[in-house]
Amino acid sequence: MSHRIVRKTELLLLALLAVLVGACPLASAQSIHLPPHEKIVLKNGLTVLLLQKRGVPLVDLSAVVKTGAAADPAGQDGLASVTAALLRKGTKTRTAQQFAADLDFIGAEFDADATSDFTAIRANFLTKDLSKGLELFADALLHPTFPQGETDKILAQSLDGVKAAKDEPQAVLGLYFNGYLFGSAPYGRPSDGDELSLKRIPRDAIVKFYEAHYAPGNTILAVAGEFDSAAMKKQLDETLGSWPARAVTPVSIPVTPPAKGKRLLLIDKPDATQTYFAIGNLGTAVDDPDRVAIRVVNTVFGGRFTSELNEALRVESGYTYGAGSFFDSRKVPGPFEIASFTKNETTLPAIDLALQVLDNLHKNGLTPEQLASAKSYLKGQYPPSIETSAQLARRIALNEFYGFTDDEVNQLEARIDAVTPEIARRVIEKHFPADNLVFVLIGKASEIRPVVKKYASQMDERSINDPGFWPPPASTTK
Amino acid sequence: MKAFRSRNLALLVLCAASLIASAAHAQSNDFPVSTRTLKNGMKVLVQPDHSIPNVALYIFYRIGSRNERPGTTGLSHFFEHMMFNGAKKYGPGELDKAEEANGASNNAYTTRDVTVYQDWFPHSAINLIFDIEADRIRDLTFDPKKIASEREVVASERRLSVDNNNPGLLDEQLWATAFIAHPYQWPVVGWMSDIQHWTMDDLKHHFEMGYSPSNATMVVVGDVSPDEIFQLCEKFIEPIPSHAPPPPVTTLEPEQLGERKLVVRKPAQLPLLMIGYHVPQTNNPDFYALNVLRTVLFQGESSRMYQRLVDKDQIALDVSADSEPGFDPTLVIITAQPRQGIDPQLCEKAIYEELDKLKSSSITDQELEKAKNNRLVEFYKQMQTINGRANTIGTYEVFLGDYHKLFDAAKNYAAVTKDDVQRVAKQYFGANNRTVATLLPEQEEKAKP
Repeated sequence: MSHRIVRKTELLLLALLAVLVGACPLASAQSIHLPPHEKIVLKNGLTVLLLQKRGVPLVDLSAVVKTGAAADPAGQDGLASVTAALLRKGTKTRTAQQFAADLDFIGAEFDADATSDFTAIRANFLTKDLSKGLELFADALLHPTFPQGETDKILAQSLDGVKAAKDEPQAVLGLYFNGYLFGSAPYGRPSDGDELSLKRIPRDAIVKFYEAHYAPGNTILAVAGEFDSAAMKKQLDETLGSWPARAVTPVSIPVTPPAKGKRLLLIDKPDATQTYFAIGNLGTAVDDPDRVAIRVVNTVFGGRFTSELNEALRVESGYTYGAGSFFDSRKVPGPFEIASFTKNETTLPAIDLALQVLDNLHKNGLTPEQLASAKSYLKGQYPPSIETSAQLARRIALNEFYGFTDDEVNQLEARIDAVTPEIARRVIEKHFPADNLVFVLIGKASEIRPVVKKYASQMDERSINDPGFWPPPASTTK
Repeated sequence: MKAFRSRNLALLVLCAASLIASAAHAQSNDFPVSTRTLKNGMKVLVQPDHSIPNVALYIFYRIGSRNERPGTTGLSHFFEHMMFNGAKKYGPGELDKAEEANGASNNAYTTRDVTVYQDWFPHSAINLIFDIEADRIRDLTFDPKKIASEREVVASERRLSVDNNNPGLLDEQLWATAFIAHPYQWPVVGWMSDIQHWTMDDLKHHFEMGYSPSNATMVVVGDVSPDEIFQLCEKFIEPIPSHAPPPPVTTLEPEQLGERKLVVRKPAQLPLLMIGYHVPQTNNPDFYALNVLRTVLFQGESSRMYQRLVDKDQIALDVSADSEPGFDPTLVIITAQPRQGIDPQLCEKAIYEELDKLKSSSITDQELEKAKNNRLVEFYKQMQTINGRANTIGTYEVFLGDYHKLFDAAKNYAAVTKDDVQRVAKQYFGANNRTVATLLPEQEEKAKP
């Protein structure tokens, strides 16, 4: 908001967050370590992780249902998200309004949404309200009734949400990019749906999705904060222990091959005074053996303020307020993108410069100074990413989901230190795209179309007002 | 899904929440603060916390866009950028490189009232950070080449946050209309034509005016001891001489005598509505009652406005209220995102009806209790990170005049009665005191290739 004008773009912060995903520690004095935590499996198969953290009298719950938007049937994009959003909108004993009233009265929070890989359900409340908070959380997770009226409301609101997002180019750039890179494969589809898919989701599809995927054996629950462990176990058993076991068929997500050659999608927003662009290709899976080295290299390339991209596009040329790059690593390889924005008139030189920086990365690799600096930076900035109970709960839940041990955090410093210039060079060649590139631009087509043609032999164009993202709806409707 | 639905509105809510901290039972000795005023007048507040090996350091300068003049609007914010672009010891680009190579990161923000510099770093970088902060307060340099490129950076920032951002654009128009005399009328980022015309002399003058150590407050939270910080201050900061603070802003906004309305027409998918009401400055005693009112009306899905506009009438995607801290009388801004096909006037009408209900009958005991519970949770959430503590302690110290008020907030909220809420509803939320800004989508179809 214009009230509080910050120096650095959110884009960079996003890049930083993306860089940090995949590990999660708490620090004991000098080195990065996860605080001790305990894993138990309830009789119904629910995996529970308990982490006690003193400081403030809050408890955070972070549940991961191991099915996300990648399980949405083709043409019904948004199903997993809508299902999650409806959990609190009516249960066997509460209307949506009663749930909100009970939750808000104690100052508690509850929210749920779906990413492509999983569904995340979170809550937090004061330790003194533990019984009430846990009971509300379990009520939403175990006993949602998906009332028709609330379902209609959420679907209509989600649809308007897509429209509102399209008024802000940065909010939708990644959705067009994923669509253009992955096509109709699961990672190409918008996890919150689009203007057409949301109209094709009947209530019974939501009920079926819930019944097929929400089950204790398919769920991990992490609890972090100030609580008594023995009492917590008892209360968890009383609330979530009653969740009946149910067989769930795991969803397998197909691996998409990297894009070959160059292609460019131009999204016309005639009133735009700035071009918002993303350039990239297939990135990596979250468990890629090179993941720590990739994080180090990307820090130098586009993951912090003094990164090569931001230095070139912002600090030295003034083309933009921010430029960065990130690997959105998922269960199977997700996208890698370079992203920035610049005024219409400098679209060409800014994109040229971004490509030149990428080219230089391949030509020159990293200097020993850059490598040392990135290592310090990553290690120094890590502890605040696992400072709160909410951060810790999410981190241990995701470690469990992705099959990581605590070493993912506890060995992070050692693994960062082990990255050599040779390893960096190999990682650049293997994981950073060079000649095969996907471009997505949102901007004023009449001004920029003639100059951006040169980047790709294949060029596609849509208006931001056309429903859906990419591919165009005709090819996704049955 | 939530973030996707209303990114900007969610941001607004966050801004609002950041100042309504309180604590029913929190004791200040749970979060002890040590203070010292340096010989040059800078006040330093330190709160040790060793749960992570990191430190958050904030410096609040009491200078913002309210200290500017027409023709050089946005200068405070531009200056903030220049504070990273070279001083005597750390030349252009060297500050950021030195910090990041030592595991540190930084940022800064500018508001209508203050300019705030932030450093987040492992304890090992602490000497470097003090060296850098002292260097740029004492010996900032102005490189014409850097001024030229940074001007473009800020223009890009303006396009991002205002020109190509509907809430940003409408908010700018709203302030420009609600204030006719006071400097709160211009945007913090500055008008585009002013961004293009600042001179080096403007920058130098701004530095001389706003950057005396006596015009600043430093807050340090994290893996430090007060003695360590005070010693570093003695070495690096105390020798920097003080000078006159910015001249006082004497213009008072005259009372608004009737409703003001403005319309922005531009290509857009959805319309947007913002309504601003003049309210007193942050250190006014009504601060607490106004926050209770905001909680009852806007916080959570059980709030009156959500229930009415989003849930029952289904005319809005989201509705929220924001009030930024201010040294001078400021605004509470209500933002509603109308649903597709809904006339924003319908949202307006529903909002006024809900406000009128607050004026004609008092809120319930349950609502009052809920508001106080929410303030307590908010307080603990701010206290759970070193960054949240540094920002909150500094904000209370600077805007409410004393950081102790953070820990007294519980008491002050406990004292708010149902009658107080009804009184502030009547006093501030009348038609004559409001400015209504509406963004209406216009057709944008142009010939396709």
